[in-house]
Amino acid sequence: MTPETKTITITLKVWRQKGPGAKGKLETIQVKDISTHMSFLEMLDVVNEDLAKNGKEPIEFDNDCREGICGMCGAVVNGIAHGPKKGMTLCQLHMRKFNDGDTIIVEPWRARAFPVIKDLIVDRSALDKIIQSGGYVSVNVGGSPDGNAIPVPQEIAEKAMDAAACIGCGACVAACPNASAMLFISAKVSQLALLPQGKPEAAKRVLEMLRKMDECDFGNCSNERECEAVCPKEISITHIARLNREYFKAGFFSEFK
Amino acid sequence: MQPDAKIPGGPIQEKWDRHRFELKLVNPANKRKFKIIVVGTGLAGSSASASLAELGYFVKTFCIQDSPRRAHSIAAQGGINAAKNYQNDGDSIWRLFYDTVKGGDFRSREANIYRLSQLSENIIDQCVAQGVPFARDYGGLLANRSFGGAQVSRTFYARGQTGQQLLLGAYSSLSRQIADGKVQMVPRREMTDIVVINGQARGIVVRNLITGEHESHEADAVVLATGGYGNVFYLSTNATSCNVEACFKAYKKGAFFANPCYTQIHPTCIPHSGDYQSKLTLMSESLRNDGRVWVPAHSGDTRRPHDIPESERNYYLENKYPSFGNLVPRDVASLNAKDQCDAGYGVGPTGYAVYLDFADAIHRDGKEVIQKKYGNLFDMYENITGEDPYKTPMMIYPASHYTMGGLWVDYNLMSTIPGLFVLGEANFSDHGANRLGASALMQGLADGYFIIPYTIGGYLAGNSLPDVNTSHPAFKEAIGESQNRIEKLLSIRGNRTADDIHRELGQIMRHYCGMARNENGLNKSIQLIRNLRDEFWQNLLVPGSDKDYNLSLQKAGRVDAFLEFGELLAIDALARKESCGGHFNEAYQTEEGEAKRDDENFCHVSAWEYKGYGQKPEFHMEPLVFENVELTQRSYK
Amino acid sequence: MNWLFRTLRTSIGKKLMMAVTGLCFICFLIVHLIGNLTIYGGKDLFISYVEHLHALGPIITVAEWGLLTLALIHVATGLTLFYQNLRARPLRYKTSKWAGGRSIGSATMPYTGVLILGFVILHLFNFHFVDKENASIFQIITTAFANPAYVIIYVAAIVVVAIHVSHGFWSLFQTIGANHPKYMPIVQTLGLLVSLVFGIGFGLIPVYISIMV
Ligand SMILES: Cc1cc2nc3c(=O)[nH]c(=O)nc-3n(C[C@H](O)[C@H](O)[C@H](O)COP(=O)(O)OP(=O)(O)OC[C@H]3O[C@@H](n4cnc5c(N)ncnc54)[C@H](O)[C@@H]3O)c2cc1C
Ligand code: FES
Repeated sequence: MTPETKTITITLKVWRQKGPGAKGKLETIQVKDISTHMSFLEMLDVVNEDLAKNGKEPIEFDNDCREGICGMCGAVVNGIAHGPKKGMTLCQLHMRKFNDGDTIIVEPWRARAFPVIKDLIVDRSALDKIIQSGGYVSVNVGGSPDGNAIPVPQEIAEKAMDAAACIGCGACVAACPNASAMLFISAKVSQLALLPQGKPEAAKRVLEMLRKMDECDFGNCSNERECEAVCPKEISITHIARLNREYFKAGFFSEFK
Repeated sequence: MQPDAKIPGGPIQEKWDRHRFELKLVNPANKRKFKIIVVGTGLAGSSASASLAELGYFVKTFCIQDSPRRAHSIAAQGGINAAKNYQNDGDSIWRLFYDTVKGGDFRSREANIYRLSQLSENIIDQCVAQGVPFARDYGGLLANRSFGGAQVSRTFYARGQTGQQLLLGAYSSLSRQIADGKVQMVPRREMTDIVVINGQARGIVVRNLITGEHESHEADAVVLATGGYGNVFYLSTNATSCNVEACFKAYKKGAFFANPCYTQIHPTCIPHSGDYQSKLTLMSESLRNDGRVWVPAHSGDTRRPHDIPESERNYYLENKYPSFGNLVPRDVASLNAKDQCDAGYGVGPTGYAVYLDFADAIHRDGKEVIQKKYGNLFDMYENITGEDPYKTPMMIYPASHYTMGGLWVDYNLMSTIPGLFVLGEANFSDHGANRLGASALMQGLADGYFIIPYTIGGYLAGNSLPDVNTSHPAFKEAIGESQNRIEKLLSIRGNRTADDIHRELGQIMRHYCGMARNENGLNKSIQLIRNLRDEFWQNLLVPGSDKDYNLSLQKAGRVDAFLEFGELLAIDALARKESCGGHFNEAYQTEEGEAKRDDENFCHVSAWEYKGYGQKPEFHMEPLVFENVELTQRSYK
Repeated sequence: MNWLFRTLRTSIGKKLMMAVTGLCFICFLIVHLIGNLTIYGGKDLFISYVEHLHALGPIITVAEWGLLTLALIHVATGLTLFYQNLRARPLRYKTSKWAGGRSIGSATMPYTGVLILGFVILHLFNFHFVDKENASIFQIITTAFANPAYVIIYVAAIVVVAIHVSHGFWSLFQTIGANHPKYMPIVQTLGLLVSLVFGIGFGLIPVYISIMV
């Protein structure tokens, strides 16, 4: 009744690293009887259950919602952030995408700004720091005008939503040949620059967020477009262009320094 | 002892206003001196942290994930209700209030819900001001849709990602306060205990999930916003880290647990496909607007759906509920699916699924129209199941989705431990026995943005709070206990992982305490849970150590709490000898098989007090008084 | 002026400098190409072009210093970016695949850049810093390209330039923020066209000369 359920055997080469400073290496694990209905993370669950029963330490990986929205999961699978399926997070990848006998190489996000904590888990707090440097509208609870007081043209709201869809998973950084976080910050800058609510602080926001990104050891964008290609929410680099415009406006024409 | 809900007097419309006036205020200059701990960064926790810090309090906020933005609230899809009446279709605060009371099957507090309905309008304003990109009409005004069977369009949404956008809004406000130094954000921590000194909540003990170390944090008040306990069923639509541990620790320290048996099962989820399965994915309820639910008329029919002729299909919802058809409320739709599958009519590899068929809709409106409406849902379904729903009917099955029960709180959202406040899904307050669609987001944000900032002030100004610091023996004791438990968990070295035991607990809970319950089953489940608990403590296998990141150890701790909590849920279900909302006891149904309330004997909140490990908890009752709405029987025929 | 420094110092600032200087070079190359094409008109036309050019006197000197400044900025910024980008990922992936964004041009930018720098130096020593008293520029060129090694080096270098421009052209538009769904496809096509024109236009000249003489 359901599409054919197969079981496949795969060779997993997965990055194992004890802790932040430790040296890591790829460990080879043979995995049998994987149902093609499983998600990639469920496959890892099964592997972990096995490892545990054999007295070994399971592979640590971050995950939570398992439906592609929390941004917690992520690994580079066979050289591509979040794996071969476009517009999806790792937790949405299914084993159906793989063939019997495949070798699958799994590595953590790699960037100076994202130090490895253990195995596939990395520290992405730099992304939070960038948001803290200006990714908000400074409104306190209490004084907001009626929601309909300022109309927002539908296409602007939609564009802002395109950008706001970012889940902060860090795949853009992982995939960027330069480990730059431009797509990430462009999503926030763009969302708030498009909406009237974000305009009053637009200049200050873009300057501070960009400086914070540079400070956090991310690389520089060189328009490689790999970020856009792996983004699970398919956020477009047109937002990076908007970020650049906002930056020039702020840097050259605003009062902020 | 009857817990005192502290509901202010006066007409319902004026209660909150009056209460805000009566609450004592903290002198602005003194606010800085008060330290408040918030556990959880979902809608409730993030919004509370941000608004308390805006007022000038010093806030310390904790969460399990690596970033506050990842709390489970992020996954909410459908929308958030507000009584704005922007559509001019007859909505009002009163109507939202009435719908919520009725939707909750008359098992919630009138005063709380009225306040919630009043505040719903401010939430939308606040979120728009933060830059939440709500859907808009062509003219640029906010768009609404009707949701969850409501007869008015009062649901605000941001595509299928409303929870995400609202949470990111709250997260942005929180981030601003972190940058200002008014909130100290402590991620990747799990609260392992709450510290009560002189009868007041004065701090918490957490475990650093990266180093494994315990840390103590003192405060003048503690706010728990740790979400719901849906994962007691193992398979649910909740995120994998959702847990009851923090609430359960508070319960053990004296906070009453209210109505644990009220759980909501969502009818349209992708069915479970194998033992390895870790979670169930929710498919938007909106699918029922166009999809027709059916099962084969003959049990054990294994033909492919196309090969089953019309005459041998049973469109059971349409047949049974001619006027509402496929659009009956969640609990009714879920229960009927279960009945069909239990009777052997279920489809799919496990026999626990029913068809949701779009063939007629596609035939009527064309594929384009359907694609426009549900394109991304269909894609999501295809990605998960590998089947194309444009060609073969979807298979769906109900799954645990939301928990109405939670820690008991009064009108101030304070638990029975003074100084311990509980917000969001973690408390029990507003949804009675059943939650309406798009109301959880509303409640979480109302609690965090608009209620706690006032009520916590009243507590802080009105109580004397002697100086406390983390060298107090109570902290050491709490750390010691947690440390012991961890050592114990690690030392068993048995054969079954925490996931494995959790999976079995889930089966027990789904089978005996799920959509339909009966006395025998509930009694049996208690026994089974106890046995499983014994097995847990004898045969658990936790790999790794407690000195670094160890998810297996975290899970073991959570399963430990679920194993005790599951029993409490069953005890509560046993005690409630009626059917209402999400609690369906087969012995109490109308002739048509609908939930039958017993307003005479059960129009109350059940609040349970912990009495020691393995002891029966003590029952306390908060009677519910309805002065503004009339109790009626729900009917969807 | 501190603000200017602060604005240009950030990652986008540096990219802006790359984009603007890159744009200048593209303009320069277009002019250069048009001039060079006179070679197809025969020796006389080419020589008259060179003479006209040199008659501009101080303008040429200014232009040369200008180009040198632009080059210094482009190279220094490019190298800084290259170093910073390497540093941003201390441990490389064991396997990495292009997910669909990169192109040969984009992936090789720093390397083609360095090659072009080497080539420009060579080119200047070949045809600029040479004794023009005893031989006309036309003679210098023809002698040089009589050597097949030079032809090969020049053609190869031009291919490298074309690759560099194939990414650089659209990329500079993106950097200055000119990415609009209506125009970006045109810009991208134009980028390919320009790099083709450069490749063919410049690339054929050494071949032509070597065949001619
Ligand atoms: C798939 C899905 C769709 C939904 N759609 C809707 C919808 O459309 N409309 C609607 O109104 N509602 C919806 N809901 C319900 C709604 O999303 C939740 O009820 C609500 O978001 C809960 O918010 P919260 O702030 O109470 O808790 P959560 O968002 O669950 O946050 C809990 C927080 O507590 C932290 N935490 C938990 N335990 C600990 C601990 N021991 N120590 C430290 N921190 C801890 C977590 O890290 C997290 O930050 C949906 C739910 C699901 C599952
Ligand atoms: S686990 Fe949440 S996005 Fe993958």
